[in-house]
Amino acid sequence: MVPVTPRVQVPSSVTRGEVFQVKALVGHKMETGLRRDNEGHVIPRDIINKFVCRFNGIAVFSADLHEAVSANPYLEFYLRATESGRLEFVWYEDGGGVYSLAHQLVVD
Amino acid sequence: MPKPVDVEASITPPGSRIGKNLSANWLTRRTLVSASAATLALTIAVTPAGAGEDDDDTIELVKRLTGKTPAVSDRLRLSMPATFPNGYTVPLGIEVESPMTESDHVRYVRIVAPRNPLIEVATFHFVPERSLPHVSTRIRLAEPQFILALAELSNGALLMTKTWVDVATNGCA
Repeated sequence: MVPVTPRVQVPSSVTRGEVFQVKALVGHKMETGLRRDNEGHVIPRDIINKFVCRFNGIAVFSADLHEAVSANPYLEFYLRATESGRLEFVWYEDGGGVYSLAHQLVVD
Repeated sequence: MPKPVDVEASITPPGSRIGKNLSANWLTRRTLVSASAATLALTIAVTPAGAGEDDDDTIELVKRLTGKTPAVSDRLRLSMPATFPNGYTVPLGIEVESPMTESDHVRYVRIVAPRNPLIEVATFHFVPERSLPHVSTRIRLAEPQFILALAELSNGALLMTKTWVDVATNGCA
């Protein structure tokens, strides 16, 4: 079992109101549930089905992901902040797995 | 389905190969068949297979999925490569022109791949003043097809755009 490895790239500080880019990647096979193993049994679906980015506890961007998102799902998105705070990134896996990362964003 | 071929308009007179002495009855079965085949091949090359999924079908599909009638709009941009060597990691970018204020913003952008075994790809949710409707990711495609992007605005309007992507391998198997 390959460990699920979330990674995020965010600027450490931004100016007030500035738009900044976030890159979020999680190492995950995104098994679609459409494939069969060598014995012909369906390999059960196991995907990251949701990603949420929160700022000081409030969702600021989220994504519902389906089977057609590539393995190791990668998201690049853009946020704006007017005060310093805690950015939290959470990935939700089929079967209840939750993986998260946090980052303290400094707004000048 | 390729578009119907306009036989009269598309047949090129045989010219040098057969010569002008046949001009009166050059439209034989042979020339017709070979010319149609050539035109058909050309049509397929120019309008990719599946291009026959006309806007009516697309709009019908969107109505079934969302209950809304979409408006084709260039405020919503879907950037994908026209051709890509594999169907496993096809780059996808979306961007919507929007002030992203409380009164005028994009609620979500939804991506649909109608020819995938499971047509839903992803839905991105945005928050006014906080996030911009601008996302990049990578997706799987089972076969060459039109990808649809739908953007719902805060006033309830649904914008739509689509782009043709040709993939060489099935990314869903």
